[in-house]
Amino acid sequence: MAPWNLQSRMGGSRLLRYGFSAACVAIAMGLALVFRHYRFREIAPPFNLAIAVAAWYGGVGPSVLAVVLSAACFDYFFSPPVFSFAISREDFPSFFVFTAWALLIASFAGARRRIEDDLSRARDRLQVEVEQRKQREGEIRKLNQKLANRAAELESSNKELESFAYSVSHDLRAPLRHVVGFSELLQKQAASLLDDKSQRYIKTILDSAKKMGKLIDDLLSFSRIGRAETKKSLVNLEQLVKDVVSEIEQETRGREIAWKIDALPVCYGDRSMLMLVLANLVSNAVKFTRMRTRAEIEIGCADGDNDDLEVFVRDNGAGFDMQYANKLFGVFQRLHRADEFEGTGIGLATVQRIIHRHGGKVRAEGAVDQGATFYFSLPKAQHSEVRAANAL
Amino acid sequence: MNILGRILIVEDDPRDVELTLTALEEYNLANAVVVTRDGQEALDYLYRRGQFHSRSDGNPAVMLLDLKLPKVDGLEVLKQVRSDEDLKMIPVVVLTSSHEEKDMMRSYKLGVNAYVVKPVDFHEFVNAVKELGVFWAVINEPPPGSVRKR
Repeated sequence: MAPWNLQSRMGGSRLLRYGFSAACVAIAMGLALVFRHYRFREIAPPFNLAIAVAAWYGGVGPSVLAVVLSAACFDYFFSPPVFSFAISREDFPSFFVFTAWALLIASFAGARRRIEDDLSRARDRLQVEVEQRKQREGEIRKLNQKLANRAAELESSNKELESFAYSVSHDLRAPLRHVVGFSELLQKQAASLLDDKSQRYIKTILDSAKKMGKLIDDLLSFSRIGRAETKKSLVNLEQLVKDVVSEIEQETRGREIAWKIDALPVCYGDRSMLMLVLANLVSNAVKFTRMRTRAEIEIGCADGDNDDLEVFVRDNGAGFDMQYANKLFGVFQRLHRADEFEGTGIGLATVQRIIHRHGGKVRAEGAVDQGATFYFSLPKAQHSEVRAANAL
Repeated sequence: MNILGRILIVEDDPRDVELTLTALEEYNLANAVVVTRDGQEALDYLYRRGQFHSRSDGNPAVMLLDLKLPKVDGLEVLKQVRSDEDLKMIPVVVLTSSHEEKDMMRSYKLGVNAYVVKPVDFHEFVNAVKELGVFWAVINEPPPGSVRKR
């Protein structure tokens, strides 16, 4: 133990420190008696030393005690008149100097004590801080570990999902193909034996199996969109719309459809995905205007807020109840009965997924029998990079 | 009838085998068909091992290969065929249920000649099989060393 730690070692016991102080004075007293015996001229130094030692090791209180005791002893035993506390006139200055000197030492001790206290407090604070930091580091490490685990979990569940989609693609389709195939064979083989009812049963089996095949295909392409990487480039939306419309027009011969295609801007996105969006929306518009003698379909662009452009597809068809607008974009959600309008309920979900992957939004407005308008927004070319990156 | 090349079908599902044979029968292509039920059997046939050790020599004019097979899967069979000096020229058509781009990419990378997804619709399926059969077994000139029937 280093000597400067003596005080802190004794710090626990006040009695010990005062006792130490008294002992110092007692030793000084002994020395002074020895000094007097050999008739040394100066008697005070042992006391000064005792006070200094008491102040150094004992602190302020013990040093004051040492001062008082030393003064008393010196006065009583050594300054004439001896064996009395009275101080003769000629001794007064030297007694005063002695006391002042002693007090000075005591105050130095106090200052030292104060500085030491400050230092030890600072050290404690630092220690607490270090500990807290260590704790926080531990917490961060734990969180990091958790994050890594979560990432690994996500990755494995993603893989699982992928293999699930793969199994669906491969394994669900095979039995379906057999249902269709053997039903057709049965239909052919037993055509003459079956009555109308049985024929209709077989036809129902075939239709249902084919519908299920379509559902599986749609679901798979929907899941593929979620996994596929987007390959972005500048896309001329107007040209894209015209391509889509001309393709669909081939299927709508014999119907009167008034197309109105406004000027559309160039945007930045995945061409084939955006084509899928437009094809879905336009074919929906064609489908849901089937009962109109003259269908009106408009495709245009509203300049959304500053960073977005908003494209809409408007029709005068069956429309929908705004109350169910939130269901429109859900997977397998349909607002019409299958015998009114056919469909698997995956087209708009695909639209939403693609637009979200581009960092845009979808919405719809409509009223029953009043037509519907579907909007999708895309970030303008200069903003799209950042937004799409954030949306991933 | 033209010269008919032998068709090797590698397919584990008996129902798919039956549908395929039915489709080929309709166009009189079925008499030149060999059916193997997994990748191991297909390789046995190609190498004239095991139950096929006494078959007449010559490679099939085309191999219709399913990807998902027991024991040795389709891609492994394809890899083996393409790395063998005597077999690498056999035209291989993958006939599968899988729409997955991954399967397609891997098949083409391994040097498949065609990749056909089995259609769910029976007529389309029959058509696809028929066209494959007609093209590979009749129209296409197979590499030398293939088995042909008159």
